[in-house]
Amino acid sequence: MFKFQKEQEIVNIAGVKVGGQPGELPTVLAGTIFYDKHGIVEDSARGLFDRAAAEKLINLQETNAEETGNPHIIHIFGTTPESITRYIDFVAEISEAPFLIDSPEGTVRSHAAEYVSEIGLADKAIYNSINMSINASEIETLALSDIDSSIILGFNATDSSLQGRMELLENGAGLLEEGLLSIADSCGIVNKLIDPSITPMGNGAGVALRMTITAKAKWGHPTGSGIHNAPSAWNWLNKKREKDPVLYKICDVGSTCLQQAAAGDFILYGPIEYAPYVFPMAAMSDIMISEAVADLDIEPASRHPVNLLV
Amino acid sequence: MKTVAETWPIVKGDYTVGNPRSRIAVVTLASQINSSPEAALWGSSKTENLGVEKIIVNIISNSNIRYILVCGMESRGHLAGHSLLAIHANGVDEKGRILGSKGAIPFIENISKAAIKRFQQQVVLLDRIGLTDPDEIIKIVKRYKDQGEVYPDEPFVATSQKKRRSTFAVPLSGDIIISEEFVMDAAAGVVCQAKDF
Repeated sequence: MFKFQKEQEIVNIAGVKVGGQPGELPTVLAGTIFYDKHGIVEDSARGLFDRAAAEKLINLQETNAEETGNPHIIHIFGTTPESITRYIDFVAEISEAPFLIDSPEGTVRSHAAEYVSEIGLADKAIYNSINMSINASEIETLALSDIDSSIILGFNATDSSLQGRMELLENGAGLLEEGLLSIADSCGIVNKLIDPSITPMGNGAGVALRMTITAKAKWGHPTGSGIHNAPSAWNWLNKKREKDPVLYKICDVGSTCLQQAAAGDFILYGPIEYAPYVFPMAAMSDIMISEAVADLDIEPASRHPVNLLV
Repeated sequence: MKTVAETWPIVKGDYTVGNPRSRIAVVTLASQINSSPEAALWGSSKTENLGVEKIIVNIISNSNIRYILVCGMESRGHLAGHSLLAIHANGVDEKGRILGSKGAIPFIENISKAAIKRFQQQVVLLDRIGLTDPDEIIKIVKRYKDQGEVYPDEPFVATSQKKRRSTFAVPLSGDIIISEEFVMDAAAGVVCQAKDF
């Protein structure tokens, strides 16, 4: 393990601290709720769901976070303005934790940004994400909102190399007039969480690990990813899954460790149901990493797993 | 004339291989619909960039395929089906953006304009986005599976996606401290002796 010469930023989003040197803060873990084909969702367009089951899942994540010391974020996924509004209302009612607002559609993300500003929850919301698809209308909406935390996604669809991804953030890589970091500044984003983007294995998934280290060395912003998307998009593994679901789960949950070993500060670990497996796995990595850098003058936080579990 | 590339299908994905001599392939977009062996290829596609590329690579490497049935439910935001129709109709601009696509990030990275042109010339797309009725889909497959002639050119093998470009750079800084003796240049990805910096 190692230490960055560049000062590593620690951001505080609604009480959850993210970033720092490897081994300093526990990895922040975000489980997804209301995702595509989530069993608790009855009508994904309207945002109707089993409230008791959803509350149980959020509590499950919260309990695991409390036990291991790994802070948690609730990753809300919605596909329509109506559904994401309902989901935000519910999550804010159930939990004090910060939440990610995520949708594949810019209009839904924009609506969510406006909505959380309107109801006074913008300080708990993390926009997911500012990426190469952003247009003038989304920039304007975000700038007018009160949101000051966002994931900045390094997905470069024309050049998935390390250089291509870094340039997208730095100068727009010839695809945008300016870099995504500068766009984030224009949108009023103070807490920048860099996500190098997990493309499928075979299309550069591993580059994200290199970029995690490079981005932290260059900018010092908190960096992390949804690394489980690599195994979940792996067709070979998905065929094995039919015979042995445990095998799939091991790879999916285990990918967490790779991102942590590459200095990741936060992980979007996928279905929130996996919390009982992901939190101990992440805590284990955090302990090992913390011990590995003990002689590099890095002091683990008081609620770091190394101080709670061993 | 050889009609199917030796290693066809060239790229792996969420699909099943049926009869390589069939004239039709089926793209079910975000829906999972049981496949028929009467189609050459049958699989889903959820993204407007990598998904589109994979379809093109696997289609043009089999000259028997002359039709693609684009069916199933569209993936929201990504618009993979709409993007496939757009690249077939309009191609890409100089930056690789699929012209006319309203998908979120409709860019092509790994295939050449020649590959796209071949795709446009080789196949006709049957736009049935939204169709999920398996019986109706099978009917269409049966109607087209023997229709028309083999494309008159040999299979086109597009660039492999597993690029391993060397970008070796000379380490210029020790921005990551590993120990008293060693440092690492993050951008170059090289571990070196601290005394060099």
